[in-house]
Amino acid sequence: MLKYLMKRSGIYLIMIFLTTSAGYFLAVSSLKPAVLEQEKIPRPTPEQVNASFRGLGLDPEKNAWERYVEWLGGIITRWDWGRSPNGAFVNAEFADRVMVSTRLFIASIILTLVIGVALGVYSAARQYKFQDRVITSYSYLVHILPAPIAYFLVQLGAISINEAVGERIFFVTGISTPGIEPGWPAFVDLVAHYAVPTFAMTIFGWAGYQIAQRQYLLDNVNADFVRTARAKGLTRNQAIRKHALRVSFIPVAQSIAFTIPAIFTGGFFAEAIFAWPGIGLWSIQAISLQDVNVATATLAYGSVIFAIGAILADFATTLVDPRVRVQ
Amino acid sequence: MSTNTTPAERLRDAGLYAPGDAVLSVRDLNVRFNSENGVVHAVRGVDFDLMPGKTLGIVGESGSGKSVTSMAVMGLLPETADISGSVRFKGKELLGLSDKAMCKHRGNDIAMVFQDPLSSLTPVYTVGNQIIEALTVHNPTMSKQAKEARAVDLLRMVGIPSPKDRLKAFPHEFSGGMRQRVMIAIAIANDPRVLIADEPTTALDVTIQAQVLEVLHTAQEETGAAVVMITHDLGVVAGMADDIMVMYAGKPVETGTVEDIYYNPRMPYTLGLLGAVPRVDTATKQSLVPIEGTPPNLALPVTGCSFAARCPLVSDACLHGEPELIAVPGVEGQTLGHRAACIKSNELSNDADAHKIFHAPPKPVSKFDGVARVEREKVLELKDVKKHFPLLKGALIKRRIGTVKAVDGLSFDIREGECVSIVGESGCGKTTTLLEIMEFHPDQVGEVVIGGVSNKVATDHKTTMTMRKEMQMVFQDPTGALDPRFTVYEVLAEPLENLGMPKAAIKKRIMELMKLVGLQPDHVNRFPNQFSGGQRQRIGIARALAVNPKLVVLDEPVSALDVSVQAGVINLLDKLRAELGLSYLMVAHDLSVVRHISDRVAVMYLGKIVETGDVDDVFDNPRHPYTRALLSAIPVPDPNLERTRERIILQGDLPSPLDAPKGCNFATRCPVFAALPAAKQEKCLTLEPPLASEKDGAQDFACFFPDGEIDADMLVVHA
Repeated sequence: MLKYLMKRSGIYLIMIFLTTSAGYFLAVSSLKPAVLEQEKIPRPTPEQVNASFRGLGLDPEKNAWERYVEWLGGIITRWDWGRSPNGAFVNAEFADRVMVSTRLFIASIILTLVIGVALGVYSAARQYKFQDRVITSYSYLVHILPAPIAYFLVQLGAISINEAVGERIFFVTGISTPGIEPGWPAFVDLVAHYAVPTFAMTIFGWAGYQIAQRQYLLDNVNADFVRTARAKGLTRNQAIRKHALRVSFIPVAQSIAFTIPAIFTGGFFAEAIFAWPGIGLWSIQAISLQDVNVATATLAYGSVIFAIGAILADFATTLVDPRVRVQ
Repeated sequence: MSTNTTPAERLRDAGLYAPGDAVLSVRDLNVRFNSENGVVHAVRGVDFDLMPGKTLGIVGESGSGKSVTSMAVMGLLPETADISGSVRFKGKELLGLSDKAMCKHRGNDIAMVFQDPLSSLTPVYTVGNQIIEALTVHNPTMSKQAKEARAVDLLRMVGIPSPKDRLKAFPHEFSGGMRQRVMIAIAIANDPRVLIADEPTTALDVTIQAQVLEVLHTAQEETGAAVVMITHDLGVVAGMADDIMVMYAGKPVETGTVEDIYYNPRMPYTLGLLGAVPRVDTATKQSLVPIEGTPPNLALPVTGCSFAARCPLVSDACLHGEPELIAVPGVEGQTLGHRAACIKSNELSNDADAHKIFHAPPKPVSKFDGVARVEREKVLELKDVKKHFPLLKGALIKRRIGTVKAVDGLSFDIREGECVSIVGESGCGKTTTLLEIMEFHPDQVGEVVIGGVSNKVATDHKTTMTMRKEMQMVFQDPTGALDPRFTVYEVLAEPLENLGMPKAAIKKRIMELMKLVGLQPDHVNRFPNQFSGGQRQRIGIARALAVNPKLVVLDEPVSALDVSVQAGVINLLDKLRAELGLSYLMVAHDLSVVRHISDRVAVMYLGKIVETGDVDDVFDNPRHPYTRALLSAIPVPDPNLERTRERIILQGDLPSPLDAPKGCNFATRCPVFAALPAAKQEKCLTLEPPLASEKDGAQDFACFFPDGEIDADMLVVHA
């Protein structure tokens, strides 16, 4: 098992290297920070711009290959992911950004998963009954509702609660109140900031899992082996819980692992709307600021997270499905 | 029983007069399903009593309601099914019990074995886990060790080698036959009083079927359970059942002891079914009895006899009022009694001839029948054809760790107008042989000569096309082999267009073809799903015949069809061979069909032919122990014969071709080898027996000790 995971990790490392390198070439040939420098007042001369970029390791006069070698050399020798056109170090900001994103998403990922799968099972067991119709219709509705609108609706709801109570219970934006005392007040403040985005992302996020889990379970509730289990003397619900559920969870486990990276790297709507400046927002900003190194770094992070997701998917599959266990 | 009782009265009578000692009494069972086409009345008034230790066979075509009946007894039908009547287990009413209350009986008092062993076990749990679960449900206080010990006992009882280790194995590590054994182990775990087996061997090879039936027999002896055996195969129940209930269109149409039904059928449907089954034990070359038409649509109310539309004896009286199941005069006093639902049952006497009644066509005579075999031209010849698959390992760099010899040096020929069949268990290389013939490529190992053209010269498209015109194929699954979006016209026109035939000629040819295979020419614009299974197979045959081939390759042509439909297709194949002078190469696992249709037979085992010759020689006097075992495994629809017959039960499954033995391939399972003294065994293990005929021998076989004594452990007789 360990050997198998090691082998998979090796393959993914090569893939990460290739995608990141390709991303770098794409970024370096399409992003031109010098253009933005021209908008500064007083307008700097091209020589001044080039000189300042040269100091940052972003020399626009070098060709793509030379810059790639320099950039890669920096990472391999010093683990230095380069600098932004404004002089900031990518390494310095990166960890903070990742932490912000992780904190923003982690609770809602877990909640979405648990609630989504549970509701999928619940609705599948009551196919076409009232509960199933309500839950599944809700999921489809949420699926077609664009995320920004959904998040705004939750913010409006939180604000109206605040107004109704006459006190500011929830913060609809931001990470924390500046200058808060540590200890209990800081914790309350954290929860007040955390509640709204987590709630919003959770109630609009579980739809996919619910629909998938319901579908896969329904494919299995009438399977021959469930009938066998019932013939042994298990009730219908016991048979479904013990036999159909685990089999139907195999494809869901795979999809879970693959949706995690999408949330971590693609959550810029949530980061922008709730004003949590995380990695998703950063990657969008990098492109608008013509920032080659940040764009590549976020891409690299995305591929690493994706690889972790893929390995998790393999691991989860092996865990629930003995048929794929490697000898 | 009088004929004019209402269901309510019969139900009341059942409660009063049902035999007190019956373990299972079913009275007036009705099942209705809501479907898009209205209410389908799938089971319409089934009555039976099951006595302890006895076996009841329920026989019928697909859709006759036999499975629904068993599921209703088990309480496993969907909640939407409307079930009425009475199902009593030892006098206690089971219908209407809640799922939870029913669970006390399911698996404990009444257990069930299902048809498809491949999908009936949960893939993600070990076999041990699944057996122990059955024990836990009904014996919550049993200790873990006791349960494990019992599970090992059960596995040993159903004949699984090294049961202790196998407890930890997952279902996918077992073969189909082994999984069915596990299913039986689960079913008998709690010593049920009633064991329902729903087509338990339909998905299995004949040798494995014999093993599993043997296990069922042992299980019944060990537990003393009463068995309900549901099957469409009259052969399977002949030896096992005490009583038979024949179902048609959701209703029992004839019930009685097994002798009553097999030797004295009083309902035309039963008579037809019995005549439709080809026999493996007789050489009589007679056409089979086809039962034309399809069962009625049960969404519509039944006004007359449900079989009337297909019955050759139908008269006006049959169309008014459905006949009751009434006692056949002269036979009284048994538990089930011999009863038939036919107003003409008195007219059908003991010597009723199904062939005459159902107007079975005469056995067709081919123009080649009088010509000696050696004087006929060869249409297909195989010379030392081999197909070895390398077995590779490794993710990026593949290493060869072995060779699978799927086909290992095959030589045979087919002459004009004859049918050669290849038989053997799954995995013996039958299908690979067909694929090798169809491949027809110069790079193949060995030579394939079709209509005088060798694969060694088939270097250009034109030669291959000539060969394709000579040889066509009919596939096993008629539904999968026809494009659902093509009309029959398009299906049949495609091969003709390929040959560049003009449009007008194509149209004419298609009309001819439709008539030839017994379909209505004006149905050419229909889609395949508008036809029944048998009709679809006829379309498949018409497509194969479109280009006027000399040789037709039939890959299990009737195995997907019901017995009654199968008979019609076999008769058609027989007729076409005679009329068109065709040759057939058939692959089939049903040896009765093979015996009926073929002139010659080749028995394959692990990629090699072990015995070949004229079908009557091989079947009447098999020399190779494998052929003997295969033939003895086929159940015969004759209860007396079936009960006294000696059966060779092979141990285990076909070994993986990977670990094929050095000497004789069959030595590992051979019943003769097992009985040999060690000195003689040595020869089998080191030398490979050649395929040759004995002096004056009729057939070729590959065995050093033909007709050898069979090991006593592998011989079974049920007296």
